[in-house]
Amino acid sequence: MTRPFRNGVILAVAAVIALTAGAWWAIRDTAPKQAEALFALSLPDTSGTPQSLGQWRGKVLVVNFWATWCEPCREEMPEFVRAQQELGPRGLQFVGIAVDQADKVGRFAQELHLNYPALIGGYDAMEVSQGLGNRLAALPFTIVVDRQGRVAETHLGPLKPNQLRAILSDLL
Amino acid sequence: MLCIALLAAGQGNPLPPDKAFRFSARMLDAQTIEARFAIADGYYLYRDKVHFAVEPASAGLSVPPLPEGKVKEDQFFGKVATYRGDVVVTLALKDTKPGQQVVIAAESQGCADIGLCYPPTVQRVTLALPEASIIQNTPSVGAKKPWFN
Repeated sequence: MTRPFRNGVILAVAAVIALTAGAWWAIRDTAPKQAEALFALSLPDTSGTPQSLGQWRGKVLVVNFWATWCEPCREEMPEFVRAQQELGPRGLQFVGIAVDQADKVGRFAQELHLNYPALIGGYDAMEVSQGLGNRLAALPFTIVVDRQGRVAETHLGPLKPNQLRAILSDLL
Repeated sequence: MLCIALLAAGQGNPLPPDKAFRFSARMLDAQTIEARFAIADGYYLYRDKVHFAVEPASAGLSVPPLPEGKVKEDQFFGKVATYRGDVVVTLALKDTKPGQQVVIAAESQGCADIGLCYPPTVQRVTLALPEASIIQNTPSVGAKKPWFN
């Protein structure tokens, strides 16, 4: 085998491997992710009672990672309260996972008249969010799960009300 | 690969916290350290979330009052001071030995104007105290720390 020919073969093989890997990544990225890691979480609420996220299986579940020290998080939450009030009867369930201290979360939840559960999350919860696309472990991060337990949407940063309503209208 | 690098540099992609709030430190003399956060445009740090520590603790770090920062009214927390641009703090070590290595651990927490906040992050810089006027400066990103404080 001449050297140029051998080099050509090596390049061709490398190209095939790269294309296959690329295709695999593309498929992997577009395939709906299961929310099992979310459902497996059990986190304390503001009174310290453990709450399993599995209890909301079968609903359209919006899991919002937030904190009181995160102003953009706080700004989007009144819209979540409105959506929960309005669309809750149709099977929508918001759950907030606060990366924060329980007393601050409780105080803010009262001020906002939060009408959905506020759970307290730590590393486990943030690792789940990272596994579902929150690469920088930043806040706010929102995961929307359909009734079949598939991740329908993930969103880093505040959700605009019309974005939220568009996502939910497809699922409810 | 180049495309990925160019995409990553795009404005739509938020920076990781150690790039958004880049920490560095250098010895000014045998007992004085200049600590600096270089905050990227469009990002800000919370003043009351900036903390410094030295390892080993026996080196005795003295931290002066931090710069005032820009104060704004927060609906939930009241008056909150933030930093943008460069923040420089002059730290002092009380009990060191010539040639000793110390690690300055800088904790910070901040947000991006695009509407994102980062959990508290610890960045570390290793400094070699002067023995024969040799100063090393090796920054590294800190490990895990509690998600809230």
